Amino acid sequence: MKQVTIIAIIAGIAAVLPLVTGESPYFIGVMISVLMMAALSSAWNILGGYAGQYSFGHAAYFGAGAYTTLIMISTFNFNPLGGMVAGIIVACIIALVTGSIVFRLRGHYFGLASIAVAEIVRLSALNFEFTGGAQGILLSDVSLWGVDLNSKLPFYYGMLLVLVVSLGITLYMRSSKTGFYLQAIREDQDAAASLGINLSFYKNKALLISAALTSVLGSLYAVYIRFIDTSAVLDLRLSIEIILTAIIGGVGTLWGPAVGAVLLVPLAEVLRSNVIGEALVKHGIVSEKSGLGIFFKDNLAHAHVLVYGIITVLCILYLPKGILGLFRRTK
Amino acid sequence: MLISPWRSIMFFLQSLLSGILTGGVYALAGIGMSLVFGVMNISNFAHGDLMMLGMYMAYFAFTLLHIDPYLSLVLIIPTAFLFGFVLEKVFIHRIISHPHQNQILLTIGLGLIMSNSALLGFTSDPKILTTSYSSSAVHIAGGISLSVPLLLSFVITCGITGVLFLFLSKTTTGLALWATSQNREAAQLMGINVAKMSALAFGLGTALAATAGALIAPTYYIHPMAGHTFLLKAFTICVLGGLGSVVGAGVGGVIIGVVESMSSTYLSSDWKDVVVFIIFLMVLLFRPQGLFGKKGEQ
Amino acid sequence: MIEHLLHINHVCKHFGGNVAVSDISFSVDEKQIFGLIGPNGAGKTTLFNCISGFFPVTSGDIIFDNKIINKLRPDEVCHLGMARTWQRVKPLGSLTVLENVMIGAFSITNATRKAEEIAFEQLGLVGLSDYATKPAGSLSIGLKKKLELARVLATRPKMLLLDEICGGLNLTETDTILDIIREVRRKGATIVFIEHDMKAVTAICDWIVVLNSGEKLAEGRPEEITRNPDVIEAYLGGGQNA
Repeated sequence: MKQVTIIAIIAGIAAVLPLVTGESPYFIGVMISVLMMAALSSAWNILGGYAGQYSFGHAAYFGAGAYTTLIMISTFNFNPLGGMVAGIIVACIIALVTGSIVFRLRGHYFGLASIAVAEIVRLSALNFEFTGGAQGILLSDVSLWGVDLNSKLPFYYGMLLVLVVSLGITLYMRSSKTGFYLQAIREDQDAAASLGINLSFYKNKALLISAALTSVLGSLYAVYIRFIDTSAVLDLRLSIEIILTAIIGGVGTLWGPAVGAVLLVPLAEVLRSNVIGEALVKHGIVSEKSGLGIFFKDNLAHAHVLVYGIITVLCILYLPKGILGLFRRTK
Repeated sequence: MLISPWRSIMFFLQSLLSGILTGGVYALAGIGMSLVFGVMNISNFAHGDLMMLGMYMAYFAFTLLHIDPYLSLVLIIPTAFLFGFVLEKVFIHRIISHPHQNQILLTIGLGLIMSNSALLGFTSDPKILTTSYSSSAVHIAGGISLSVPLLLSFVITCGITGVLFLFLSKTTTGLALWATSQNREAAQLMGINVAKMSALAFGLGTALAATAGALIAPTYYIHPMAGHTFLLKAFTICVLGGLGSVVGAGVGGVIIGVVESMSSTYLSSDWKDVVVFIIFLMVLLFRPQGLFGKKGEQ
Repeated sequence: MIEHLLHINHVCKHFGGNVAVSDISFSVDEKQIFGLIGPNGAGKTTLFNCISGFFPVTSGDIIFDNKIINKLRPDEVCHLGMARTWQRVKPLGSLTVLENVMIGAFSITNATRKAEEIAFEQLGLVGLSDYATKPAGSLSIGLKKKLELARVLATRPKMLLLDEICGGLNLTETDTILDIIREVRRKGATIVFIEHDMKAVTAICDWIVVLNSGEKLAEGRPEEITRNPDVIEAYLGGGQNA
């Protein structure tokens, strides 16, 4: 079955899912998180999995989209789509600056530099007035051509659309000259150069596409949640989470990031909402008042990052190509 | 607004000296990281969290065992060394020939486990380690005052660095370690057990990180995420000094300490980190091998 | 007057205090099979790296097809028509053999279809057609060398720089490669060989330059070179230049 068909089928299922599940806001909210993380990781994967350039600072583009959009809406009265376009422009500028610095570097230096750039963006947003400083930005009122932005549905479909676009771009690139070239860069940069590949050009191309997609997701997030601050949209943790999602699913595969998101986001949700702890108590396995019960109640909610850490370590040691990597032939 | 030239000179010197003192502790963290990089060619993203563990060790030694944080180094150093040694043997060892990205991710994962275990175990309430001299200061000429804990840290740092130097240059094991950090393949060809050197280096790196943590514990808020601030700074120091150069990390640490102090004084403390990161990028752009760098990784 | 396709003009390359290549000059004519030989550490690969744009020269000029190419990037050099292989083979490991060669083909076309055609053609030329769908990393060394050759041939170069293409190959494999090279020359390309294997070199080269310790020791036709006492001395006595 052709990959395009698979994307279409899954997109179709995802599209009708909210209607079928009775539009429970909680469920849709979780699905939005899943879709967003899947899209973020897929976008990252274009640069990281295919070109082999692991950006450890992708949150910078997410935040750029988020902040630019909200600033454009609240200060300059743009509509959300206009804000989104502005966000893409800002993200691309950051991407070009980053690319010109980091793409000359190899190995360790590249990853570290990408973090440094992201941190500079974060600290700038934290310290400037017009970005709201530590308070962040709160969006009071927003509308878009009669679409009800108080409902979650537009954002569900928005995230789904970006995911489909991201997968589509990946699929197209894979069998085109650009895709081949990016993979050559990933495998061996010197060999790639000797075969006529302009390393800088193609790396920047991948970065720009990746940054633009990430920025759109940031814009969607900002208008969805109506509130952003640096710890929500520019944190190193977000950058890491994006990478982990791709790694666990399978870096450099088409569906790896999505698989990773489908596994990790609900897991985090389950831990965060203390479902496990409550279930244990409900079934009498653990007494609510016991030490263990109290420990679960207070702490399991915070444990999802710990679990992420454990999963990462296990994954790198035993499953470095991720889940889909097991099935992967060469691509 | 007229400030007398005397006052501004004193102001400057105050900033400079505080920077040098803090820089000493940074240098310690940087040296640990540089050693690991030189011997194993690995960027250890858990380095900051190892510092954090050192902070907590000092805290608990003080509150539970009533040992002064500087004295508790006697306990902390071997414990941390052992911890690092074991970490290397169990985890790091396995990925030593894996691609860079995976190595980084593994250390990130380990760091997440460390910081979030600390979160679960010790809660996120910042702990404060106040000794009798935590806020004492020594006054020297012209109205410059130097914080006693900083001064003590600096002295201890110099001592430890001195011992490390002697170890690396005068003992057989130390020389072997030094040789491995300069050129791993050559060292292996000469018959040095590089696997053992890796474990040793990582143990030392951990011990140095924990020591740095313990030294700053009396002057910083101790909380599970404290290590993260230092991580990028440690990397900046290493890159500035030259990845793999112990001397470079030492010099780099002092430079960064001074830069931070000056930025804090003359710009604002909000922007001091930005200045450090910009320096980081400048070094990568214009002199990626750092001040004393040996490996040309272009 | 015959225009030289490649002209190396007093090229020097220093690495800090280390002089790797010192005042080398020679010229390569079109359709020549040119040999660059010398003991280990003589500076041959360094020279290749300079010519193909991976190292900047310290001084001197490299003129290819009437253009000075000193300052060009490796990919620019490739687009001018000069392609090189690697002493330590660089297969793009997780791509298939066919995909590897397609990468080369993409330097002269943008269409995936066309690149595939060209790639199949080159695989046929070197005899790797049966391996088209195998991951490149899984090939034996002899086949990897053939793959390198197919890959650079797909860029339709005017000039090929081959760095020890026969290294690690047995007699049959070496003969096969040499036959392919002759065929490539017949189709109009020029070839510069770095090679250790004296038999291969004397069998196929029209002209040879001998390097020793970064300097040009001798140059001439294969028969002259093999009888040159300095050359013999350099190879027998000078093998310790690590």
